[in-house]
Amino acid sequence: MTALVGLLLACSGNDNDPGDGPSPTNPAANDRKVMLTHIADNIILPAYANFKTKFDAMTAKSDAFAAKPDKATLTDFRQAWADAYTEWQKVELFDVGPAEGHTLRFFFNIYPANTAGIEEAVQIGTVNLDVPASYPKQGFPALDYLINGLGDTDDAILSKYTTAPDAAKRIAYLKKITGQMGSVFSKVYGEWTGGYRDTFVNATGTDAGSSLSKLVNGYVLHYERYIRSGKIGIPAGAMAGGTAAPEKVESLYKKDLSLTLAKTAHQAAIDFFNGKSAKDGKEGPGFKTYLNALGAKDSRTNTSLVDIVNAQFDVANKQLADLKPNLYDEVKTNTPAVVKVYDEMQKLVRMLKVDMTSAMGITITYTDNDGD
Amino acid sequence: MRGYFRTYTSAAPLAVFRIAFGLMLLASIVRFWSKGWIEELYIRPTFFFPYYGFEAVRPLGNYTYLLFAVCGLSALLLALGWLYRAAAVLLFLSFTYIELMDKSTYLNHYYFVSLVTFLLIFLPADGFFSVDARRNPQRSFREVPRWTVDSLRLLMGIVYVYAGLAKLNTDWLLEGMPLRIWLPARNDMPVIGPLFNYPETALVFSWFGALYDLTIPFLLLNRLTRPFAYAAVVVFHVLTAILFPIGMFPYIMIVAALIFFPPAFHKNLLNRLGHLLRLPSEVFGRAGKRVYTPLVRRLLLSGLAVFFLIQSLIPFRYLLYPNELFWSEEGYRFSWRVMLMEKMGYVQFRVVDDTGRRQTVNNTDHLTVLQEKMMSTQPDMILQFAHYLRDFYARRGFRNPKVYAETYVSLNGRLGRTYLDPAVNLAQETDSFAPKKWILPFEDEIKGL
Repeated sequence: MTALVGLLLACSGNDNDPGDGPSPTNPAANDRKVMLTHIADNIILPAYANFKTKFDAMTAKSDAFAAKPDKATLTDFRQAWADAYTEWQKVELFDVGPAEGHTLRFFFNIYPANTAGIEEAVQIGTVNLDVPASYPKQGFPALDYLINGLGDTDDAILSKYTTAPDAAKRIAYLKKITGQMGSVFSKVYGEWTGGYRDTFVNATGTDAGSSLSKLVNGYVLHYERYIRSGKIGIPAGAMAGGTAAPEKVESLYKKDLSLTLAKTAHQAAIDFFNGKSAKDGKEGPGFKTYLNALGAKDSRTNTSLVDIVNAQFDVANKQLADLKPNLYDEVKTNTPAVVKVYDEMQKLVRMLKVDMTSAMGITITYTDNDGD
Repeated sequence: MRGYFRTYTSAAPLAVFRIAFGLMLLASIVRFWSKGWIEELYIRPTFFFPYYGFEAVRPLGNYTYLLFAVCGLSALLLALGWLYRAAAVLLFLSFTYIELMDKSTYLNHYYFVSLVTFLLIFLPADGFFSVDARRNPQRSFREVPRWTVDSLRLLMGIVYVYAGLAKLNTDWLLEGMPLRIWLPARNDMPVIGPLFNYPETALVFSWFGALYDLTIPFLLLNRLTRPFAYAAVVVFHVLTAILFPIGMFPYIMIVAALIFFPPAFHKNLLNRLGHLLRLPSEVFGRAGKRVYTPLVRRLLLSGLAVFFLIQSLIPFRYLLYPNELFWSEEGYRFSWRVMLMEKMGYVQFRVVDDTGRRQTVNNTDHLTVLQEKMMSTQPDMILQFAHYLRDFYARRGFRNPKVYAETYVSLNGRLGRTYLDPAVNLAQETDSFAPKKWILPFEDEIKGL
């Protein structure tokens, strides 16, 4: 067969006009193993390591607070929480392999927090945190409620951990949540460092079980459902009813952090698209180089798909930058500006989900297919 | 011509075809079942996409397993030539029912199987090398009218030639699409993988594929070219099996193409098989011809004429529609258009009611990944789902719900664009064979058939 193909190639030579469609600029650049290796070693693993550092620091501050709840330990804990929550935005998008298997996101960032459920769980003390009903009772949003949302003043919040009759139970629940986060993340990170990295790098196909297919699907889903809808569309009321739902913003009790989280997550999505290393910030093999190697472009204008996507990322970023840090207030008083962000992100969803995925020739189902 | 219809040939090719085809179908059913697809595709989903006019054909809950069991069993009986006629009828009905349950699983080769099993109901594939021949020697025979064997060859020829004609378009021949997208996706294959990085490879494969489809039935018919042609059949289909996730299709075509071989080949094969399995000589039946009464003969021949006339016209029905075929897909199915498009879409539905209630729909709440993928690029399916949403939200208290679709579709490497008119309330549109006016124009041109 090889001989046959070789013969046909030799016979046809370069007489065949490749037409106006995409043509690879550098065929070697679409080596998926090289790309997956860069993504694993220079993006995902270091991003996880960075998150682990921030998360461990937060756990230490949480433990210090639990041991001695006072203004100083609370302030430290809050800062560490905000740092870890921000760093989390840079790893939530890796919904592939162990993170997908352990549904990491569900234990870290399902919001709005179910405050009634949390209060109930505090009292019961033996709540099962592994079931779906418990997802909004844990993770960063639950911590947000527990350290920022229990009262109007720091004294009122601190009293819940010191003088309140259920203070001990509350401290126990706090430790339970950080313990749960730590344990789920350890599993995911442990699997990545303990062998999954090689599995990931070697699953070089484009079928439904391949690393690229899972990576792209997880990435697109994250952008659509957890950035566009979760952080912007749902609070802005763009998804249902048309009425704003400010109480659904991320980081509801630390309102001036919401926009930072959204911006960080959005930038992380952009950086990942461009293959930017989490180690040195330099771009390497990633979606961008792969799409360029495939020659993906708009055949009408000859603009590369990568440029089109990056231009739209810029537009969405600018709209996002125009918002004030307190997304809760923005959603309430400046809804059209937030909806505008949603609209620009929606354009990206279509490009990523349709143009990018199609150009890569990725299969998303295991079932037979004889052509779309 | 009159003479042709009175000539007889060995029944062996039909027997080999019956056995091979029956066993392939049995294998297909077993494979489908063992992959858990019955559950995944026909039991777990809450909504299905029926074919126009076949809305009553739906999965049967857990009895769907029974349906597959009946299908598998009748395939086995067909292979054995045991209660042949009943098995063929049951196989055609059960297999076709399965395929009609949900459009999102449409495959050209399933349609091919339905057509072949339909033909087999009427063909004398039962009187030779079969359980029936042994049980009922007086109804066995060793020769059949030539046109019975040739009708299967003709069907195979139609499949190949129409598949070839469908490739005669500028996307396929000049752009090398969609192979130019699909081949680089397989560039990690050993040995030949690196070649897939070059667009020239896609073009070579495209031209070779079109040439293969257009000529292979004729090369298989000719005694001199047949051995090479069959080798090409094997290489071509094995290659497609390695490159693309097209399931059993390549293997079914490889065995089905044996029908082009002469009687001696099939007799030899069956003799060896009989010997190997130590079958009693009675399975070969008694010497004799399968002679039809003039009335039955006339009915069969005119039935076949109508069947093949329809088969040769259906693929051209797309000419009745104004839109680009690949874009609107009006008249796309049942036409042997295989592996012609890399098409991907995105649909977001918005349901609005009279009181101002609005809801953006999360498709995955209602559809499987496969269903959503298939629906996103096919207007009739988008319409069906829109009607489902209309009824779903009406039950939830939406008053007179309107359904709007924000769509985005890319075709063969073109940047995506809006597919359907976003201002059209799909809840009010009805499906029919008439052109769908709410499909926006393609605004590009794919020249060719």
